[in-house]
Amino acid sequence: MSDAFVQLSDLTLSYGKSVAVPNLDLSIREGELIALLGPSGCGKTTTMRSIAGLLAPTGGTITIDGRDVTRVPANKRGIGLVFQSYALFPHLTAFENVAFGLRLQKLPEAEIKARTEEGLATVGLTGFEKRKPAEMSGGQQQRVALARSLVMRPKVLLLDEPLSNLDARLRLEMRTELQRVQKETGITMVFVTHDQAEALALADRIVLMKDGKIEQLGTPSDLYARPATAFAAEFMGFENIFRVEGTEVVTAKGRLPLEARPESPILAWRPDAVTVGSGPHEGRVAACSFAGAHREYVIDSALGPIKADAAIALPEVALGETIRFDLPLSTARGLAA
Amino acid sequence: MRHLATWSILGLTLTFLIGPFLIIILAGASATDYLAFPPEGLTLKWYLKVFTVESFRASFALSMALAIFGTFMALLLGVPAAYALNRYDLPGAETLRTIVAAPIIVPGIIVGLALLRYMVVPTGVTVTLALFMAHTALVLPYAVRVVSSSMTNLRADMEEAAVLLGCSRLQAFTKVVLPNIRGGVLAAFILGFVTSFNQVPVSLFLSGPGVRTLPIDMLAYMEITFDPSVAALSALLAFMSLAIVFTAERLLGFSRYV
Amino acid sequence: MFRNTREGLALALPAAIFSTLLFLVPVGILLSEAFRSGGSWSLQGYIDFFSTPLNRTVFLRTLKLGVLVAGTAAVIGYAAAFCIVNLGPKSRGKVFGMVVLPLMISPVARTYAWIVILGRTGIVNEAITGLGLSDTPLRLLFTETAVFLGLLQLFLPLMIISLVSAMENIPRDVIPAARVLGASWIAVFFKVILPLTKEGLVIGGTLVFTGALTAYITPAILGGSKVLMLETLLYQRVNVSNDFVSASVIAMILIVMSFSANLLLKRIATARS
Repeated sequence: MSDAFVQLSDLTLSYGKSVAVPNLDLSIREGELIALLGPSGCGKTTTMRSIAGLLAPTGGTITIDGRDVTRVPANKRGIGLVFQSYALFPHLTAFENVAFGLRLQKLPEAEIKARTEEGLATVGLTGFEKRKPAEMSGGQQQRVALARSLVMRPKVLLLDEPLSNLDARLRLEMRTELQRVQKETGITMVFVTHDQAEALALADRIVLMKDGKIEQLGTPSDLYARPATAFAAEFMGFENIFRVEGTEVVTAKGRLPLEARPESPILAWRPDAVTVGSGPHEGRVAACSFAGAHREYVIDSALGPIKADAAIALPEVALGETIRFDLPLSTARGLAA
Repeated sequence: MRHLATWSILGLTLTFLIGPFLIIILAGASATDYLAFPPEGLTLKWYLKVFTVESFRASFALSMALAIFGTFMALLLGVPAAYALNRYDLPGAETLRTIVAAPIIVPGIIVGLALLRYMVVPTGVTVTLALFMAHTALVLPYAVRVVSSSMTNLRADMEEAAVLLGCSRLQAFTKVVLPNIRGGVLAAFILGFVTSFNQVPVSLFLSGPGVRTLPIDMLAYMEITFDPSVAALSALLAFMSLAIVFTAERLLGFSRYV
Repeated sequence: MFRNTREGLALALPAAIFSTLLFLVPVGILLSEAFRSGGSWSLQGYIDFFSTPLNRTVFLRTLKLGVLVAGTAAVIGYAAAFCIVNLGPKSRGKVFGMVVLPLMISPVARTYAWIVILGRTGIVNEAITGLGLSDTPLRLLFTETAVFLGLLQLFLPLMIISLVSAMENIPRDVIPAARVLGASWIAVFFKVILPLTKEGLVIGGTLVFTGALTAYITPAILGGSKVLMLETLLYQRVNVSNDFVSASVIAMILIVMSFSANLLLKRIATARS
């Protein structure tokens, strides 16, 4: 833990009497890009706000760069935050928005101008200095917000759902942009998201949260391939998750036999891990849709609906027809109870 | 056909609402010593006389002072209250809102009488001070309402962003909130000024020797004389209000806030 | 950041305390006065008030004029608001502005115009004598009609404003849709426009009715002591006879009437749907 740049120790965050985050421990390395991932209400935004100093913890400490900042007010912490709504100042131009924090530091005018222009250049907005926020697109507004935080040279940059307000094309563009900025500046970034694809694509490490606790922490490939719990598996796109009893998988609807007795109490298969067209089990096709490289089936089986992807080379099975499938142990992911 | 019906309905309504002003403008210009319409001969002497009547000058000054300082005071109290009611999750927020809005609900004459009986008489404060307080209380609901509505679109995270960039809470308010509600505050000032200046019932009982607001003074003057000078003064006041509102509309789109 | 309740209260309380001390407390004491006769609580003040025939007449007249003004304002208001909403955007703003403007002008000035119109040497009388309809000028001032006209002119804008903003919220194609389905204009009004604008009607109706009840200048100038309303009666009781119990009773009646009007209108509006 000696290399921790941001250290949350035994952090407890509450709203009135209700505890949103109990006893959280988390360490973030310098220059790392961390994603706080989880469904709404999991405490990810709350945690981020407490790092920024916008929410005072009811217990525990926050250390940044070796300094305990738990009681340091937000305006003295040296942390940047890009808000989900961007929170640009509508009465100021792009230039004045970016220069806002520098002016408060009473820097010489020449330095303010230089750093502001550099900041706008970093996010590719040279030439937009005189625009007001209302005269810019959502993507441009977000770049201004990013530049506004970056020019302050914060120790840590926090981003709240940085891609959620953008359309698909801009999202890809912004994602590349964020990675580039992070590489160029080497700044430590923490971003909050509810979208697992976003976290997987962007983060060095993902902190998956549930009910204010860390459910799993690891690299994207770690989490994707080896989720530890049913919650993590579900979040990482495992559609078929079943309880194990002896040598069978069981649901409320019924049971199916496995080829051997597994070690884990829960097994999960991604749709592409289910064998379709052959195997010991049968079901009826409840839905079938074409997805380019494969067909997505919903199979009505003894366990209830099973989602399965079939290679496009396999002949299509019509709705209501019987289809054979298998849940092989070799492609299953074993989960803790 | 539809067009004709529409414009005749609107024409009649607007004549009813605005026609009387055209009439007083002309009535104030009548050369007669009594009110007459159509005016018999045109003169500006009544318009000029208004400025020479000593009591009108004194009461105009009082009404102006009340409207300006009362509204200013109401904003001083009302802007922080509107801000707090918008930003904070306060216990009893509904009660606070009702208390602040209450002066609008109760008839002004009752407010004036109550203040006279239970504040001026027992504590011996001057009538002028009581008038000032009464006008402040009267404008307060407008100040809170108009400023509130200009604040609803201003998200709280803008202030948080300002603080993270190094502002103190007060700086966040003056550098971010205030510039963005400036229009609302100005609109509240104008609305408050006009309301206070035109106010009669509250001031009815709160007047003393030499202390009368302009509308009260006009009522008193009317009882003694029947010359067209009150018509002339009414016309001048109407012009003043129109000029204020028109300027405000041109400068900041006043009607958005009312 | 905005979770510090003490901070929020510190900002909101000055206004609330000011309003309480300068407003709620004195008005509260005034209202309680009528319930205290000779040191004990009683309704005697109210009984005495209503046993005087003049007071009853004034009470009923105030109620009657309030209802008439609000009702007439509603009828004219619907016609005018419907026309305004259907205007082109340019003339719409102008007409709406002309409706709002009178509100910014001193009620004394607005009422004074009626003296010019209805006075002995006013337009109406000049016309009547000029046309030879009557040899002597008619007494038009100091009548209920004069007060009615003055109040209507004073408060009609409030009704129109409420109804215009209610009508702006009617979905665009609802009225043509009703027409296509075969509804007559009368049916369109009662089945579509009225139900969809009743909230505006409740707001406008309350504003106009309450305004008419509590206006002082108009009944004072146009009604005088011949056509007393509750407000002018209150003033007379205090200034002429120093009768604070009656003043307190009238104050209570005015407040109760305003509130009941609002409740009643709301009740009617919800009962229809």
